[in-house]
Order: sequence, then structure tokens, then C-alpha cells
Amino acid sequence: MTQGALVLRIVASLVGSFVLLYILHRVLGPRGRRWLIAIVTFAGGLFYGLEWYFPVHGHPAKNFLTDYIEPVSNMLAVVAAFTVGLGIYSLCQVHGRNVARQRPGWYNSLAFFVAMVAMFTFGLWEHYLHLPEPAPAVLPWPKAIYEVLFSGLFVPLQAATFSLLAFYIASAAYRAFRIRSAEAALMMTAAFIVMLGQVPIGAWLTDAIPHTPVLGFFRLEKLGEWVLRWLNTPAQRGILFGVAVGALAMSLRVWLSLERGTFFSEQS
Amino acid sequence: MTLLICGMGGIIVAGVLIAQRGRTMFIRRIPGLTAIDEAVGRATEMGRPVFFSPGLDGISITTLQALAILSYITKLAATQGARVIVGLRDPTVLPVAEESVREAFTAVGRSEDHRPEDVRFVSDDQFAYALGTVGLMQREKVATNFFFGGFYAEALILTENGQALGALQVAGTPDPTQIPFFIATCDYVVIGDEYYAATAYLTREPTLTGSLVGQDISKAMIVGLIVLGIGLATVLGGVTTHNFLLNLLAQGR
Repeated sequence: MTQGALVLRIVASLVGSFVLLYILHRVLGPRGRRWLIAIVTFAGGLFYGLEWYFPVHGHPAKNFLTDYIEPVSNMLAVVAAFTVGLGIYSLCQVHGRNVARQRPGWYNSLAFFVAMVAMFTFGLWEHYLHLPEPAPAVLPWPKAIYEVLFSGLFVPLQAATFSLLAFYIASAAYRAFRIRSAEAALMMTAAFIVMLGQVPIGAWLTDAIPHTPVLGFFRLEKLGEWVLRWLNTPAQRGILFGVAVGALAMSLRVWLSLERGTFFSEQS
Repeated sequence: MTLLICGMGGIIVAGVLIAQRGRTMFIRRIPGLTAIDEAVGRATEMGRPVFFSPGLDGISITTLQALAILSYITKLAATQGARVIVGLRDPTVLPVAEESVREAFTAVGRSEDHRPEDVRFVSDDQFAYALGTVGLMQREKVATNFFFGGFYAEALILTENGQALGALQVAGTPDPTQIPFFIATCDYVVIGDEYYAATAYLTREPTLTGSLVGQDISKAMIVGLIVLGIGLATVLGGVTTHNFLLNLLAQGR
């Protein structure tokens, strides 16, 4: 297919989709829209379910639906890509209003626009420079500015935010470990054992205890491991079992359009 | 495994059908979900907004559950005249969240109070989202924070700042790795499968409570299978190639 024909097909598909959506939006009332969503949801769930469970044959192993997985996934990716525009629109709307009305902190919103335009401009520019690999020692200025913005500003800011977690963990742990009830005392004791069991000082503290089967259990590194393996892991697995069954029930409710909330009406 | 999943699915659907025939189902009290009313009431009394985050995930089962909870919270807040601000990370969730909030305002007859700009896309980058949301919480002086959905490393940044602001915080996530952080920093936490019981608990609609009861029976069935597996492995001295049930329990086939 020539490039012109491809572009024509894409444009025709886009126009066709918009016209179809517009007609559906105008013709169908709220009830009709709910029915349409319910039908599409059911068909989508049935498609993926059947593809997963239907017996496969041949090499590579596939069934009669496997070949359609990629086009359907691409379709979903295209729909998702449209929503990026909605996200940018939402940001511009909120920050544009802040700047236009000069609300308190409006300069932060202005910084948002400057950052977005700068990143967008230099990101695209450096992409279309088609620099050779490895990059030349002296970078062209659009690429150099992009590097400053991305590697010199954005990445360190991300790392700085991530590193804040260390302090937040300390303050959250302090609050959680204040002994106010029997449960808090139990949690504090378990945390104390596990933390000491992970560091060399823990092993040093109970170094005098011999490595015999009975007494060796009370060495902090063994005790910490026991708490993690025999108390923590079963509890986590218990939660995961519950979550898996809950997710299954929720999936069934969504698939059969029984769930309440968005797009589903109240039960009569 | 397929048989087990189909069996559990069947039990859940059976629960729904029984409940639809009018049989009353009992649901135990879940403090985290009961606290939602109190948390919205607090924001109303203080005349400050409620903040809601559906987490970092795109459109998934976890996010759909979060949006169903958002719908309930928005209805409650709209009835009481409180403002709900929603901060989003994934742009695919934006139109669904906007529709959810708009429908909730309309459902309680307060569509004139609906502010479309209160459902905001913050950033699709994890930490930019965390900082943007914290800034939003501080500027708007929120009285209550709701965190329902899939959260990761940013969870603690969000909730610690909420705690510093003095906001009442209710969180819920099915992810066991983030539950400890929420427990340490939030006033109420909905954990594990309680998260998926939210809409049934909040709306008490027969279809949903029926599915919840089916869910509990399925869990009891799993516990029964585990106990049976332990018993058989103990009696028979481990997993053998000739024992169908033990192989099913040990390897899922």
C-alpha cells in the first residue's frame, strides 16, 4: 500500500469513527448508551476469555482467535492514545485559568506552560535531528538543551523525590511504632526482631547463643527469618487469596454489567 | 485451575441469583468503609474539600472499583454540599472519572454544583504525580483524603503529607506491599478483599451483596482445600505422582 493510500485510510477511519460516535451519542439516550456499553463490555470480555481458555493447536500454538489479539490490542492502544490529548487539555484548562485570573501561585502555572512548551519543542527537535550513534562530542544546541532539560533537570528531580521516601518511612515508622495498644506492641516487637535480624549488629548481639537446633532458633538472624517466613508470608498469601477471589467477583460483575457506579444505573 | 476458577465463578453468580430472589444477606461491619460517611461529614463541617485519588493504574479492575467508590463519595458530598477534587495519573481514567462525578452530581439533583475542573489530570509520571497531588492538597486545604486504587512508592509521599496537613485519611488497596504504609499513615484502611467488597457494602444492593457472599463461600472453599491438602500431604508423606488431588492442590493442574 502506498503512503498516500495509507494516510487516506487513516483519515477516512478517523472521520468515520467520529461520525459514528456522534450519531450514537445523538440517537441513543442514557439507557441506550448503557446498553451499548454493556454489550461492548460483554463482547470484549468474552473475546479475551475465549482466546485464553480455548484449546490451542499447531506451532506456534494458537486458536481461531489468537490472530485477532494484536489488532484488538492496537485498537485499545489507539483509543488510549486519544486520551493523552484529553490529559493535556485538562492541564492547560486548569493552569490557563490560574494564569488568566492571576490566582495565588499563578507563576507556578506559567512555569508549567514554559516547561511543557520547552520540552515539547526540544524533544521533537532532537528526535528529528537523526544524530549518529555514538553522538558527536559537541552536541548540536537543540540536543544540548534537551539533555539539560531531561537528563540535567527532570531525572535528578525524580531521583530527589524518590529519595524523600527514606525520610517519610522514618517518620511513618516512628508514628506506627508508638506503643499505644497490645497490637502496636506486638508490631513493634516483630519489627524490632526483623530489623535487628537483617543487620550485623543483630547477629553480634546474640552471638553468644550456640548454633544448636533448639537454642540456635533464638539467634536474632534466625528469629527474624522465622517471623518473615512463617508469620509474614502466610498472612500475605491469605490477603492475596482474598484479593484474587475479590478481583474475580469484581471482574464478573463488570463483565455482566452488574457493578454499580460509572455507567451503570442504580438497581431498581 | 480452570475448573476451580469456573467453580468459583459459578458460586459467585449463584450468590447473585439467590440475592436477586429477595433473600437477605449479612455483611460484617468494615470500619474503613463505614468511615467514609464520617470523613465526608468532617469535610462538610469544616467547609473544606474532599480529595480523591484512584491510584496510578490505568483502566483496570482495581481502578473501576475505585471509580465506583468515587461515585458513592461524590453523591454523599454533593448531597451535603462538599466539594470533591479528583487527581489522576492516567489520562485514560480521566473521561471515565469525569463522567462518574458528573453522573453522581446529577443523580442527587445537584448538577448546578458540579465543577468539571475539579477532576484533574496531574501527571503521568509517578513522582511528578505525587508532588503535584501534594501541592493540590496543600493549596486547596483539603479536610479529607481518600486513596483507593493501585498505589506504589508514591503512596507514602501522599499520605505523609496528608497526615502533616491534618486531613482525615481513608485508604484502600488490594496490593499487600502498600498496605503497611497506609496502616502507618492513614486513619482507616481497607485491606485485601475488603477493597472489592466496597460497592456491595456501601450500596447494599442485592446483586452486589449476593456476589460478596459468593466470594466469601469461594474463599471458604479455598481454605478448605488448603486444609485438605495439608492433611493429605501429612498423612501420605508428601506429594506423589499418583495422587490426583494432591497434585491439583500442589501444582494447580
